[in-house]
Amino acid sequence: MTAADSGGRDGGIANGTLLLRFADAVLGEDLAELAAAREAIAAEMGGAALADTAGVASLFNAIDRVADATGIPMEEQKAAVTADFRATIGVDNFAAAGEKGGGTGAE
Amino acid sequence: MTEINYQDLAWPVRDEVTTAQRHAWERLGQPGTWLTGAERITIAAEARNAAGCKLCQDRKAALSPGSVSGAHDHLGALSELEVEQIHRIFTDPGRLTRAWYQDLLDGGVEEERYVEAVGVIVTVVTLDTFNKGLGMAPWPLPVAQAGEPSRIRPAAAKRQMAWVSTLAPKDVFGTVDEDLYGGATEAAHIVQALSLVPPEKQSFFGLVDQQYMLGTQMYDFENEIRAISHAQIELVAGRVSAINQCVY
Repeated sequence: MTAADSGGRDGGIANGTLLLRFADAVLGEDLAELAAAREAIAAEMGGAALADTAGVASLFNAIDRVADATGIPMEEQKAAVTADFRATIGVDNFAAAGEKGGGTGAE
Repeated sequence: MTEINYQDLAWPVRDEVTTAQRHAWERLGQPGTWLTGAERITIAAEARNAAGCKLCQDRKAALSPGSVSGAHDHLGALSELEVEQIHRIFTDPGRLTRAWYQDLLDGGVEEERYVEAVGVIVTVVTLDTFNKGLGMAPWPLPVAQAGEPSRIRPAAAKRQMAWVSTLAPKDVFGTVDEDLYGGATEAAHIVQALSLVPPEKQSFFGLVDQQYMLGTQMYDFENEIRAISHAQIELVAGRVSAINQCVY
């Protein structure tokens, strides 16, 4: 499993498959798949869980844009302690990794 | 005016979420710090319009967005540079670069207006994605309110860790922005990202606090505060960020 491909797994988290399916669908274009993902969470985890899942997914769809549009770098300490698994799951292959992957970002 | 309300929805949305969303949404139409209410609504409408832009779709599909030239499909109310800012942030944020940002500044975009526009765009993204997730149509944009922007730039804001100028936590004490970081002397970079325009930072983090969680709750694994666990929250957040190719 990499950051960009869940491989149909659950990340070792309860109901992870359902949550990943919803995250993929809400950022995608297939509204029938999104409806199915939504109903699956509501049925298995409850309506409150669905609402909170939508809250997190929508918030991170936005906060990613805050980070990317303002050019904030990852904090040096955070970059250091996450270097191994960022490399393992493929985050270092993202287009902006060279610009924002760590450091102060100062010119 | 349409008021955000989820009471008729089959699934319970927490009142705190509704309140934070109402506040952020109503602010869209009000005069900001560098933009009028009308300009803020125009930017919000252009953000929604970006989803159907052919140039943006072609760039998104290209190996390099800079390899595709052309004109954006836009609503005709903003300059080309403003449209470029809004469309790229909306459609392909993971491949924005410092050089792209600098080109906007060199072309005449003011960084204060740029940062405030980011606040407008991400408010639209948050609420529109939320409604999409719950099977609802997007809320109508608010009506623009009359009035002039305050045009107040925090005196201590400067280029220090991001492309844009930011206001460091240590520099807010004794200023009108003293509450910007809740009295903390340090803050994660993401918390500082919109600080050049303090009301945008405060409004967006009102959404963060309720739809994600407070900073103090992030590492409190003894207490689950949502209908999904810390681990489930981070799984969803991580997956969305991976799809967006967000390194941060």
